[in-house]
Parts: sequence; structure tokens; C-alpha cells
Amino acid sequence: MTSRRQLLQASLTLGALQLFPGMSHAQAKRLVFATFTGSWEEAHRAVLVPAFKKATNNAEIILDPMLSVDQIAKVTAARNNPPIDVMLHDPGPALTAIDQGLVENYPVATSKNYKDLIAEAQEEMGPAIFFQVVGLTYNPDKIKTPPTSWKDLWKPEYKGRAGITNLNSTLGTGFLVEIAKLFGGSETNIEPGFKALNDLKPNLAAVAANPGALATLFQQGQVDISPGNFNAIQILKARGVPVEFVIPKEGAIAFKTTIHIVKNSPNRELAVALIEAAMSPEVQTRLMQSPYLVVPTNSKVKMEGEISKVLAKDQADMKKRFVFQDWKKINEQRAQWIERFNREIKL
Amino acid sequence: MSATKRLPVTAYPLWLASPLAFAMLLFFLTPLLMLGVVSFYSDTAMTQWGSFANWAKTLDGFGLTVLLDTLWLGVQVTALSLVLGFALAWSFLKMPARLQPLIIFIVMLPLLTSVVVRTFAWIVILGRQGIVNHFLMDLGLIETPIKLLYTRLGLVVTLANVQLPLMVLPLITALQRIDMNLTDASASLGASEWQTFKKITVPLALPGVIAGCLLTFSAAITAFISQSLIGGGQMLFMPMYLYQQVSALSNFPFAAAISLTFLVTVILCVSVFNMLGRLSRGYANG
Amino acid sequence: MAHQKDLSTILFRGTLGCLAVLTVVLLIAPTAVVLIVSFTDGYSLKFPPVSYSTRWYVELWNASHLHFAAMNSIKVGLATTLLSVVFGVLASLAIVGSKSRWARALDSLFMSPLVLPALAFGFAALMTFSAVGWSVSITTLIIGHTAVCVPYVIRTTSAALAQMDPALLESSASLGASRWYSFRFVTLPLIRPGVMAGAFIAFMSSFDNVPVSLFLRDARTDMLPIRMWQDLEGKLDVTIAALSGVIIIFTLIMMIVMERVAGLSRRLRQG
Repeated sequence: MTSRRQLLQASLTLGALQLFPGMSHAQAKRLVFATFTGSWEEAHRAVLVPAFKKATNNAEIILDPMLSVDQIAKVTAARNNPPIDVMLHDPGPALTAIDQGLVENYPVATSKNYKDLIAEAQEEMGPAIFFQVVGLTYNPDKIKTPPTSWKDLWKPEYKGRAGITNLNSTLGTGFLVEIAKLFGGSETNIEPGFKALNDLKPNLAAVAANPGALATLFQQGQVDISPGNFNAIQILKARGVPVEFVIPKEGAIAFKTTIHIVKNSPNRELAVALIEAAMSPEVQTRLMQSPYLVVPTNSKVKMEGEISKVLAKDQADMKKRFVFQDWKKINEQRAQWIERFNREIKL
Repeated sequence: MSATKRLPVTAYPLWLASPLAFAMLLFFLTPLLMLGVVSFYSDTAMTQWGSFANWAKTLDGFGLTVLLDTLWLGVQVTALSLVLGFALAWSFLKMPARLQPLIIFIVMLPLLTSVVVRTFAWIVILGRQGIVNHFLMDLGLIETPIKLLYTRLGLVVTLANVQLPLMVLPLITALQRIDMNLTDASASLGASEWQTFKKITVPLALPGVIAGCLLTFSAAITAFISQSLIGGGQMLFMPMYLYQQVSALSNFPFAAAISLTFLVTVILCVSVFNMLGRLSRGYANG
Repeated sequence: MAHQKDLSTILFRGTLGCLAVLTVVLLIAPTAVVLIVSFTDGYSLKFPPVSYSTRWYVELWNASHLHFAAMNSIKVGLATTLLSVVFGVLASLAIVGSKSRWARALDSLFMSPLVLPALAFGFAALMTFSAVGWSVSITTLIIGHTAVCVPYVIRTTSAALAQMDPALLESSASLGASRWYSFRFVTLPLIRPGVMAGAFIAFMSSFDNVPVSLFLRDARTDMLPIRMWQDLEGKLDVTIAALSGVIIIFTLIMMIVMERVAGLSRRLRQG
């Protein structure tokens, strides 16, 4: 009986030890990549992760999808021991990350792919790996005449069918700035934008927490029209959801998305490998094709297919057709806007 | 004699509880105290102490609205739950004994299933392409699907169902304790079932009703997942308000103030319920 | 005993009966719906599904990020249950039967996590760990979970202890057994079903826990309910339905087992 008890004790102790792994041991092994929710996560999981594993002999990687601003919050809260190794950022949060010293510069000298990036995408503190394009997305089965302008969202026939995201996402904030401009304002005069959002309330079916959630709403038929990312549509289409993208006559909003190594990350080599893979022509070409349709930044990748048909024939063409916003100015007031949005835009 | 000092053989020394007491002190009470301390910082970087700013912000027009709306949600959910739960508990007692274990099982299963799973089920039920809309359209009552998700009604119905077991179990226990002789006597004195119900059953079951209401109310107001998945982005309640401040805005001092407000409110509500419970026991016995 | 079957009685019984039937339907429906939807062939949550297949279970089999979260939840759950049982049983033994004011106070302290909003506690724990420089890890998760799960063990163990006939211990003592011996061979076997039921409820509570995990986890200690919630909101596939189906079946089986072994339903209604 004594030996049985000893055996039990021993196995319990061993078991307990397994449950409390050394922290640094666990951290150093797994790379945490904070990507965006929804179609980005799917695209990266399907294309970038396998490429990374091939390049690093099957190193472990965890995708932690969250908004750009949330990534900043998490890393700021634990600077010395960041829970994320590689961050993905929209222009606004990217400026914040660099300003606050949250990221390291990328070793461009030893990089194979960095020099192939187009000029705008080359940024040592965080190269740009794709462009996002925001326009109008709608359900062609329910909405027979395609919308042509941002202002169409306010049409009374769309009562209870429109969707937007909150201002935590770049999609939401970019949209707000656009409509502010539409109604006579700008990045520094956001008042017309908020007024327009208030006017939109009767049409609002839902306010999504992030673009991924917005896409789900389309899929479940909860919204029929919304501002949306170009590539989110393609994944929905591939799933058989009726959805189309259209560039409003005022111009589509475009912004570059950058990838950064987090300072103090214990997985620097793996982080570099991931970013290399993300910049590589192979990964970018695959991501450009159906159903991901992510706009590439590597000059070796020829824009073709859906992207060149709907958006632009090449990066130069894109610069002509799209609207780029002043994120430095937006950053200064974003926190206030977010608070104001959370207070005002509620049913 | 030292017998009075010595523990009876059926009892155990109090110090056996000290490991847990110590652990609770360290890991439960201390954090709660920290909430109080941190809430007085005036900035998110936590460098300046001694400001009431966060408290003012928590209890300003907006904050109070969120708090009161959360409490009101609790009331609505508890009321609906009570009606449904009482009907089930009362019918349970009249059921043949073979069926009773099955009903208990049916009540228990949701209690032990993950709350995400249960709430997810209601997304399927309430969605535009979901069961309710399908049903209503098949019956020809509506032409196009109506919006049930992200509405107050949808949220209250979902929460009432998700928390239903918490209401039913105490009610069944309470109703089972009611002496059958009392109801029989009432009937033989000529009272209708409804009168018996009103004058005998309900008062005697009151302690169980209060217990069930307490559990349901507490669970409903802290139900973060259901509020977020079914309520959506436009209905803000205390749980999400707190989570936003911590997760997206990293404003720990303000979040601490919100947490404490929430805690104190819940403690107050629980005290009210407990007091009602004591009163009802007196009422039932007297 | 003459019951007047008048209109009011029929109305009364009828109304309550109908409500009761509705309630039972409402209790079963979600579980049934999830199981059925998990076999859909398409990408949306249409009910009833247009066509059926097991593809989402196949997807689930390949969804390594969900496996990762599930393993984390199981690990934390087991550790939490172990700690809860050890601490909880000791505490129960000390408190039950004791008439001192300390015992009452400790009882309130130990059971308070059940009543206080766990969300506030989760955040408070995060802040405290942060302040002393412990970063979020599986250890902090286990500590947080144990605090909110130990009451379940205490509740069922105390009930089992209270129902034990004191004469058993008295006779054991009068036959010369030491307190420790009596505990091992008289008390423990008798309260074992109660402890097991409490352990089961504690494990399920930890596995399903959202409020504490929300704050005390990061990507490396991803917990299943949180992962499910985020995937439900932001992803376009139905794998979560398959996962839900698996969880429901697992819970059902465990419930039946615990009912046989520990009389679960009786204990859930106590305390």
C-alpha cells in the first residue's frame, strides 16, 4: 500500500511539473504573430504560415488576430515581456508604435526581399507587405442597383440594413474621415462626420467590433451594405455569399499595412524569417490570387487577375485612383473620437 | 475539565482552513484592494495618484446610464426567467415520477455546457436565416426576416434561457418542501387552484424564488459573452465597458473604478436579495 | 377530496402546463440546434441546413489552433481542479460543524467568488500580477481559476460532511482510531461522491470560464471559450459548430457518468 501511495505521489508531482512549464522555455519556442481578424487571418494561415514553416524547419507559430490598436495596447502594457513577437499595423497605429519605441528596425542589409519592395513600401522600422483598399460592399441579391457613392448608405431604402465597424479599426476610422470630408470637413474637422453617422443610425443594422465580424454579418444576412475591404469580399464570394465590391465615385480609401518586429521579443530570428516570407514574391503572388486578393508590395509581383481588373493595373495606377489619408493628424485625435463614438453611436 | 477546550472527535481543527485562507487573502482580497488603490490614479501610465477623476467619469451621465441599463437588463431577464421557471418547477412536481429525472437532466445539461456554445445556439435561432424567422415566414406571418439579433428583446430572451437552470433548480427545491397537506387543506376548504397557488404556494415558495432570482440576476448582469454576441456593438453594458477599457484602451485606473462600481453594485443587490430572503422566510413561516 | 374542475382551474393548469412545455423546449432547443447545424454542408448558420455533411468535423480535426486552445483549457482545468480539491476539502473539514465566528467568516470569504462578478476579479488579478511584475502565464491563469472554482468543491464537500452521521466518527473514535485514521477510512469514503461531484463541477467551471480567462490569458495561453468567442465573431466558417457539438457530447457523457458515480443532480441542488 505504501508503494502505491508513493507511485501516486510521484506521478502527481510529475504531472504537476508538466503543468507549470518554465515561462521562458515556452516563450522562446513559439512565435506569436498578431495579424488582423477575418480574411487576413485566413489568408495568412493558409499561405504565410506554411511558407514560414518551410523556411524555418517547422518552427511553431501562433496567430493572434486582433486590431492594430489592440496590438499597441497589449505591447505597451507589457513592454519588457511582450506577448506578441510580430505586429501588423495600419498607418495610424504604425506611427504610434514607432514613436513610442515599441518596435525594432528590420535588418534590411541582410534581407533578400526588402530591396524588391516598391519605394513606398520600404520602411526600415517596418516594411509594408500589402495595401488595403476600402470601398462599398453590398449584397447584389438584395440590392439590385449597385451603389455608386458613399452617400448611398444614407438612402431610406436601406433602413436597418447597413453595417459599419466601430472606430477601433482603421476601416471604421478611415470611413469616418471620408464622410467628414464628404460633408465639408477634414481630418482636423471631424464634426460633419459624426453628424453624418448620427443621421445614419436609422439605417444601421449593426456596429461590428472589427472587419472580420462585419464580414460574418454579411454572411449571415444581417447586413446588406457597408464600407468594406476589397479582399474580404473575395473570401466571402468563394464561400458562396452574394457580395460585390464597388469603388465609390469619391474614390476608394487605400492604406499601406506594415509589419514590425516587437522590441524585446525573445524570438527575433523567427520574427525576421516570418517577415522575409511575407515580403517574398512567392507568398505575395499567392496572396494576390483568388480568393485572397491581397494587393502586393513586391515589385517582382505583377498585378493580375481580379485586382488589375477591379482596382488598378499596377501600383502607379493605384496611386492615381485612390485616396490616402493623413494619419499623423488622425492619430492626434483618434482616442477622443473613439470615446465619442462609443458614447454617441448606440441604438 | 479540558473537554470543553478539546475539539469533539467529529470536528476538525480550524487551522486546516488556513492554506486556503492565506491563498484567498493573497490572490483574492489583495487584488480587490488593488482595485481601490489604482482607481485613484489620474492617468493611464499611473504616475499621478490621488485624483477622483475616474470616479467622476464612472458615475457621470454616460457611466450611470450603462450601469442602470445593465441592472435593468438583469431585472428583465430575471422576470422572464421567473415566469418560465416557475411554470416548469410547478409542473415538475405534478409530473409522474418516471419523467422527473429526465427533466432534471434537461435542466442540468445547459448548466454544465459552455456558455459560448449555448449563446452560439441562440445566434442560430435568432439570426436572419435562423429558426424563428424561418418559422414565422413558413407560417406566412412575415414577408422578410425580422431583426432579432442585436435587439433588446433577443438579448433578454437569450439570457433568460441561458440562465434558466439557475432559476429552476432552487424553485424545484423550494416547491418540494411545501407541505402537501397545506395545499390539500386549501382545496378542501373550497379554494380554486389559482387561489391556492396565490395564497399558499407562492408565499411558501418565496425563499426559493428569491434564491433563484438572486442567482439569475447576478448571472445575467455579468454575462459578458451573451451580451456581446447577441447584444452586439451598440448595446453597452458594464462587462463590455470594463473589458474595452482594459483591452483596447489600457486605461487601468478607469477600468478599476468601473470594476469597483460594478462590485459594489452587485454586493448591494445581493444584500437586498438576502434581506428579502430573510423577510420571506419569516413571511412563509408566520 | 373534491376538486372543482371549474374554468379557472383548467385555465390555470393549462397556462402553467403550456409554459412548462415551452420552457422544456427552450431548454432542449439550443443543444439540439447546435448539434444539427454542426452537420451543415454550407458556410452559413441557416437552419435547417440546406445539405448535410461532416466536413466541419473534418475541419475541426485539422484546426490546430483550436486544439491548442483546448489543450490549454484542459491543462488549466486539471490543475485548478487538483488545487481546488486539496484546498477545498481541507477548508470544508475545518468549517463544517464548527460553531465559531471565525468559521462563519471564513465560509463567507471562501464562497464570495461565487457571488462577486468574476469579471471584476479577473481584471483585478491581472492588475495585481502586473504590479508585482509577474507576467501573464499558465500559472497566473491557474491561480485565478482556482479562486473562482474552489467554492464549488467546498459547497458539495460541506454538504456531504453535514449529512454524515456523527455517530460513525464517534464510534470509530471510541474503538480507538486516531483522527487521521478515521478520516481516511470513515470520512473520506463517505464524502468521496460529494468531493467528486464538486471536482467535476469545478473542472467544468474552469473549462468554461470566460471572465477570468479574458484577462489572464495571452496568445500562448489561449483558452478555448475565448478562442471560440473570437472565432464566432470574426470568422466565416462553421468549425465552431462542430466544436460545440463535440463539447456537448462530452458534457453529456460526463454528466451521465457523474450521475451514476456521485449522484450529481442531487448535489447540484444543494447549497
